[in-house]
Amino acid sequence: MSFLQSIDISATASGRGQLIFGDHDGNLHFIDRDLQMSSFKAYILRVTHLYQLKQHNILITVGNDYTPKNPRDDDEGINPLIKVWNLDKIDRSGQPLCSRIVRAVPGNRPTKVTCINAHENLNYMAVGFENGCILLFKGDITKERHSKSRILYESAYMITGIEFKTHTSGKPVIMFVSTLKEVICFNLLPKDRDVKTVLDQHGCPVHCSVMSDISQDNQFVIGRQDAVYFYQPDGRGPCLAFEGDKLRIHWYRGYLVLVSKEVKPSSLIGNVQSPGVHIITVYDIQNKLIAYSGPLPEVTDVLCDWGGLYVLTGDNRLHLLQEKDTQTKLEILFKKNLYHLAISLAQSQQYDQDGIIDIFRQYGDHLYGKGDHDGAIQQYIKTIGKLEASYVIRKTEGRDVDFDVQTAIRVCRQAGYYKHALFLSEHHQQHDWYLKIQLEDIKDYDKALKYIGKLNFPEAEHNLKTYGKILMAEVPMETTELLKRLCTDYKPSDKPLVDAANLDGGAPTVKRANPDEFIHIFVNNHHKHDKLTEFLEHMIKVQPNSSVLIYNTLVELYLQACSHEMEISARVEKERKTLDLLQNPESHYDLDQALVLCQMYNFKAGILYQQIVQYHMDHGEYMHIIETCKRFGQQDPNLWIQALAYFSGKEEDCKQQIIEVLSHIDDRNLLPPLLVIQTLAHNSTATLAVVKDYIVRRLQQENDQIQEDERLIEQYRTDTEKMRTQINELKTSAKLFQVSKCSICCHPLDLPSVHFLCQHSYHQHCFESYAEHEAECPVCLPENRKILDIIRAQEQSRDLHEQFHHQLERAQDGFSVIADYFGRGVFNKMTLITDRSATKSSLRQPPRPPPRKC
Amino acid sequence: MSYAYLFKYIIIGDTGVGKSCLLLQFTDKRFQPVHDLTIGVEFGARMITIDGKQIKLQIWDTAGQESFRSITRSYYRGAAGALLVYDITRRDTFNHLTTWLEDARQHSSSNMVIMLIGNKSDLEARRDVKKEEGEAFAREHGLIFMETSAKTAANVEEAFINTAKEIYQKIQDGVFDINNEANGIKIGPQHSLTNPGMSSSSGGGNQSSGCC
Ligand SMILES: Nc1nc2c(ncn2[C@@H]2O[C@H](COP(=O)(O)OP(=O)(O)OP(=O)(O)O)[C@@H](O)[C@H]2O)c(=O)[nH]1
Ligand SMILES: [Mg+2]
Ligand SMILES: [Zn+2]
Ligand SMILES: [Zn+2]
Repeated sequence: MSFLQSIDISATASGRGQLIFGDHDGNLHFIDRDLQMSSFKAYILRVTHLYQLKQHNILITVGNDYTPKNPRDDDEGINPLIKVWNLDKIDRSGQPLCSRIVRAVPGNRPTKVTCINAHENLNYMAVGFENGCILLFKGDITKERHSKSRILYESAYMITGIEFKTHTSGKPVIMFVSTLKEVICFNLLPKDRDVKTVLDQHGCPVHCSVMSDISQDNQFVIGRQDAVYFYQPDGRGPCLAFEGDKLRIHWYRGYLVLVSKEVKPSSLIGNVQSPGVHIITVYDIQNKLIAYSGPLPEVTDVLCDWGGLYVLTGDNRLHLLQEKDTQTKLEILFKKNLYHLAISLAQSQQYDQDGIIDIFRQYGDHLYGKGDHDGAIQQYIKTIGKLEASYVIRKTEGRDVDFDVQTAIRVCRQAGYYKHALFLSEHHQQHDWYLKIQLEDIKDYDKALKYIGKLNFPEAEHNLKTYGKILMAEVPMETTELLKRLCTDYKPSDKPLVDAANLDGGAPTVKRANPDEFIHIFVNNHHKHDKLTEFLEHMIKVQPNSSVLIYNTLVELYLQACSHEMEISARVEKERKTLDLLQNPESHYDLDQALVLCQMYNFKAGILYQQIVQYHMDHGEYMHIIETCKRFGQQDPNLWIQALAYFSGKEEDCKQQIIEVLSHIDDRNLLPPLLVIQTLAHNSTATLAVVKDYIVRRLQQENDQIQEDERLIEQYRTDTEKMRTQINELKTSAKLFQVSKCSICCHPLDLPSVHFLCQHSYHQHCFESYAEHEAECPVCLPENRKILDIIRAQEQSRDLHEQFHHQLERAQDGFSVIADYFGRGVFNKMTLITDRSATKSSLRQPPRPPPRKC
Repeated sequence: MSYAYLFKYIIIGDTGVGKSCLLLQFTDKRFQPVHDLTIGVEFGARMITIDGKQIKLQIWDTAGQESFRSITRSYYRGAAGALLVYDITRRDTFNHLTTWLEDARQHSSSNMVIMLIGNKSDLEARRDVKKEEGEAFAREHGLIFMETSAKTAANVEEAFINTAKEIYQKIQDGVFDINNEANGIKIGPQHSLTNPGMSSSSGGGNQSSGCC
């Protein structure tokens, strides 16, 4: 800017789109954005200070218009005049309007102005002087009349800086002041009730204090030799230890600009200041980095406008320090590996999302390169969702590094990036993680199952054990299929059927899991029956020598199926299947267990007992045969007959056994003697001695029985005869009611009365209030009913029996079913019916007709 | 946000022991894995509650590097509590405690509550200073002691709050003169009865209603 060369600059200011220079000839020069300069003469002698308000186009200047009368005071700046210019208005001579001219002299003691500042509310203006005075103007500072001045403070030290804390509208006006030895805060309250707080006992030279912007909370910033200090109205704030002799400090959009003397280390005479060279340093306070640092010859001022920083040097040159665009700044930071700074810079600059993501990625790469894999993944994670997952995956795939995949997966998962967590898990063979995520987070059971199916045998086995239950609950069919595979001859599903290892001679090893260990996964599952049955059937088919547990379980399942089947033909089919299983000699079920089960499910057990006996017979275990018969003969008396047939068919001498068996048959009256004889007749070894006792006893019994029967016949006959006469009597002859007492109230009868043939009589009123039925005797009624019920119940017994059992099996609470039946009185009859001997005897002695009872 | 008391803290100790991380964890609940050398003195604040009272902690995090010592010293004055931090994985930081303690005692009010902190307790594998040693040192010099991890946040909250409790107790016991700000304690704007204009700069100092 050549036109600056001719100007003898004495003061500068900037703002509102222009740079302003004052010179030693009293001129003001304005340079606008297009580098057009305009000038006018503001003072007769010189301009010494400029202050440009930010929110108003108002310029305040300090300068001299005339030489003081006292020649001793003929010093630059004595008797200064303050002029306030309204740059928006032009006066008659075509210059900006000067709205106010006022002398800047504190209390008639001429002294140099050192600084001037005004509040944006245009109500306060403060001037600092070399002698330590502060002159405060209050009221409309642009107008002569409305503004009064007073000395606010007299310090022992030169005032070096004055700043109003902006952005405190409505609140007390706060003014910071620095002197050579102090930092002071003034709280300017109405009616001149000012409050002064000394913030520090250290001050700073002129040009070394500045107001920061809102990004630093409008703190007062002071540059001293050892550090830059920040001040709040109530005390000292943080500090930055930037060492060096500071000449000027400025604040520009979050940047702290320091001009300091260059210090060159010299081997000869210690540190030497090279004359005329200054260092200008631009600190990005928020990001804690040096945005610029470089030497410039003799910096006289720093101006900020037009989006740049202008440094004025002694040779009247303006040097432009342009803020680098964010990208360039970031690159610088990247070069220095200051990624966290880059990120905070990008974020503070509202950098776009993709850009920030990219920084995370670069940071991740950087950390990765340094071997900080955990750190890297933390950064990569932040890119997920934007960056291709494959990038992260690729990065994390390095075989040679021990990458903490677990952390990566965990972080991804926590962050809800299930897809990526899955990728990582799969790529790093973290099966457990994979399945956890697939099952617990994504709930894709099919995929999880397929995944297990691809694993090697031990892993597949392990994971199916762990997750089988949930899989069975969700995808029963597929899970069952996989289980079958796993327990038969397992090969991972994506491997060729014949793997290379087997081709070169080694015998192919069949890997199969123990099915026993998987039965539990079917438990508590409503598909349990079908799927477990299917699985077990498969198992016994491919491995007939399956374990007892397998067979037992299958038996139980079958029995359950039978008992639940309502449809007759299906049931028959199921029972047949059950029998096949029970009778198959290869079935390794536990006999006792199977028995208990059969009993539990009320499976017509005979076959089964016979099965056991047959088993022992096949093994020739006589002792056991008898034992079994003794144990289960109660349930199935036919066992004894079977045993008899067996022993009598034996070639060897089974006399002992036959005798024992016979005695049991005898006790229970299981076979007609004739049949016993016939059976024994097959046996060549069975001597008469063996059966003699039996036959004798039998014959004796038969005899006794016949006699007893004859006696009974006789008795019934007389009974019948008696009844006949009774009935006849009732029919033909008049009945004499000679009962004298009422059967209800037990008082002597009187008329009117009611009489029954059963010999019960009642007062009429007793009968009417008591009887349920006109035609029935109230006393006999319960007994008669019972007998009728018995007859009816016997007719229904079969149905009822079945119905009860079905109900009992289906009910969740079996007890309540039983209780219900009890309540209905059904149980009495049930016992009557199920108890065989009782049934027989009751049939033998039919209930007597009611009249006989009374 | 109004408060009943304001306590000033200072965090001191060798460079790299984790002072800034402790502060960051306490105020922002974050951890900074990179050593961002503190140059000068940084500042943080947080509100806590003790005994049902809101207490504002104003915390000065100082640079541990020797070359900044003269600057950081000037911040000791007017601190009610100090967190003296060493790194359990670096014995030298433990050995320097005596120097730090002398410094602190010399430049601060005699009533200042000092909490000794063995930081980086998450790095058990690299431990160089036994917990018992820290306890012994604290006992010998009348300090409170805790091991913390700025990384996992273990005991961080407790360290700051226990110090505040101790200060609060001292106030209750009348040990601190709360009207002397050099002690690092200030009564909240609406709680103070004297000089209402003085203490308020930001916050609701204007509505100086009666006592709660
Ligand atoms: N593992 C672990 N590292 C920590 C812990 N606290 C801090 N660090 C690390 O230690 C280093 C230094 O932490 P800073 O808090 O910056 O140390 P400082 O005490 O403030 O250091 P100066 O500012 O130089 O005084 C950083 O890399 C932190 O990540 C911690 O509890 N555990
Ligand atoms: Mg630090
Ligand atoms: Zn009767
Ligand atoms: Zn009667």
